[in-house]
Amino acid sequence: MFLEETLKRIQSHKGVLGTIVVNAEGIPIRTTLDNSTTVQYAGLLHQLTIKARSTVRDIDPQNDLTFLRIRSKKHEIMVAPDKEYLLIVIQNPSE
Amino acid sequence: EDSISVPGFVSQYGTLHFLLFHSQTLELKLTEAAVQACHISDMGVQTEPAECLVDSLDPEQNAQVEYPGLREFLQRVSGMVIKELKQNAKSHAFDGFEVNWVEQNQTVSFLHSLHYPEAQERGLQVTYVCWNSTGSVIASAYGRLEDGDWSTEKAYVCTWNLDRRGLNSQRPDLVIDVPSSVLCLAFHPTQPSLIAGGLYSGEVLVWDTSRSPDPVLARTGMLDLSHREPVYQVRWLPGTKRGDTFRVLSASADGKILVWQVEANGRLGLHSGYALIAQQIPRSTTVGKGRGDTPVGVTALALSFWDSDVFLVGAEGGLVLKCSFSAHTPAILAGSDADVMLRAPAQFSFSTHSGPIHALDCSPFHRNLFLSAGTDGHAHLRSLLQGPPLLSLHVSDSYLFSVRWSPTRPLVFAVGTGQGLVQIFDLSRGTLTPTATIEQNSSGRPVYCMEFNPKQMELLAAGGADGTVKIWHLSSELTEQRPKETSHLEYLANEVPE
Repeated sequence: MFLEETLKRIQSHKGVLGTIVVNAEGIPIRTTLDNSTTVQYAGLLHQLTIKARSTVRDIDPQNDLTFLRIRSKKHEIMVAPDKEYLLIVIQNPSE
Repeated sequence: EDSISVPGFVSQYGTLHFLLFHSQTLELKLTEAAVQACHISDMGVQTEPAECLVDSLDPEQNAQVEYPGLREFLQRVSGMVIKELKQNAKSHAFDGFEVNWVEQNQTVSFLHSLHYPEAQERGLQVTYVCWNSTGSVIASAYGRLEDGDWSTEKAYVCTWNLDRRGLNSQRPDLVIDVPSSVLCLAFHPTQPSLIAGGLYSGEVLVWDTSRSPDPVLARTGMLDLSHREPVYQVRWLPGTKRGDTFRVLSASADGKILVWQVEANGRLGLHSGYALIAQQIPRSTTVGKGRGDTPVGVTALALSFWDSDVFLVGAEGGLVLKCSFSAHTPAILAGSDADVMLRAPAQFSFSTHSGPIHALDCSPFHRNLFLSAGTDGHAHLRSLLQGPPLLSLHVSDSYLFSVRWSPTRPLVFAVGTGQGLVQIFDLSRGTLTPTATIEQNSSGRPVYCMEFNPKQMELLAAGGADGTVKIWHLSSELTEQRPKETSHLEYLANEVPE
């Protein structure tokens, strides 16, 4: 049950509001949030990750994106990107 | 680019082989026969939902097959993500860091003063204001309080569309003539043109503002079970089953809370109802008031955003009650033999105010918090979970008529006072004095009603005894949510008073 255990471990950390795994097409394949929120996060962050990655590589083609963090008033979104998947974690650090 | 080597081969062009086949089917034999079923039996077949099937297989294996490389991906990234999560939770890097995207509004500013000259000439007062679901139309209800009692002369409901060009603050877009003072209004949550109102006479009406000449869509008329005393609150209730339309809830001084549905013939038909009878109210303090079977008048009502079964009632004598829509105890109502059985809804009695409650409002940000305010000049912050209030704020030496939570800032709420002031409190400040005071009118006449705009949430409408509705634009400080506000609210909710 490695998959579920890992996601549970991440989800159980302080202030984590949700965890989503997205595939290369931007389709969510595992989530701890409700459907509509998941679809929204998956779609938007998938696009943003592609843009972030091309920004990094345009500046320096030898470089590549390793991690993406968006800090907002209410919480922080972390994206761990990869060739085939994205791991999205939403955390409210002040809770 | 890689070079592709083309393997050479010897052409076999010269040699061609042909193979010829003849084939013929055997003669077909045909027979005819007619058949008819003597017995027919029907059988329904249904497959189990896919999840059940999947459960029986190993989900791990399934995932592996569907998502190759997922396990490896998670192994690679989970360590790093967890490390970042831990650090983030401890970090103080962003403490107090605020970014301003929108130009900050430092003060509360006045936008419009709306009034209907005819109503003002007759000395009518604004008893209720309500925004419609799109946030562009404001409706105001008029009535007159004479010597402590509402008058029986005719009154009005006026609407203004604030987003329209050519808004004339002295000429409402629509004026509806009503046979008696209107005490409360409620716009339909999804249909922007429907509005319900409760009258001093006890009648409940639904108007469709898009219909002319007669906007009345439905009315209760004077049935046996209709209210005979002033209706202080109307609300739209979502239907209990899917596909049900909204129903109208009305609460009156006769102690009855009735649920109506809009019927096709222009009537509001009684769907269900509740009655507050003195002896059926659970009391935390034993207060004997008259006979046990007397009805207890309802003066305020609030619905919970979080739990559709819970509603709060403010009643005569300063009672604040938690009620349930699904209560089934029948109400002990003298002479009740009607088709619709009224039920006793009260489940819990909070500590009383020392005077009638005029206003109740549930917090949109916390499921257990609500505010109550009444004639004793105090606003109480209460929790659904306990009897005594969490906080008691002395707002004014006069009566308090209205209380509303801010729709954007969890710790902010506004209170309308009998001295003509709208006091805005910000609980994050740590003091119990108001953060902002809006002077609704210079004559000190009471503010009876307030409502935040559901779409443009920095707008607050307030109306009162001077017959005008004023639209105020609140400062950014009062409308922009701060970080950690919800956790502060949570902390307040869990505090037990000394």
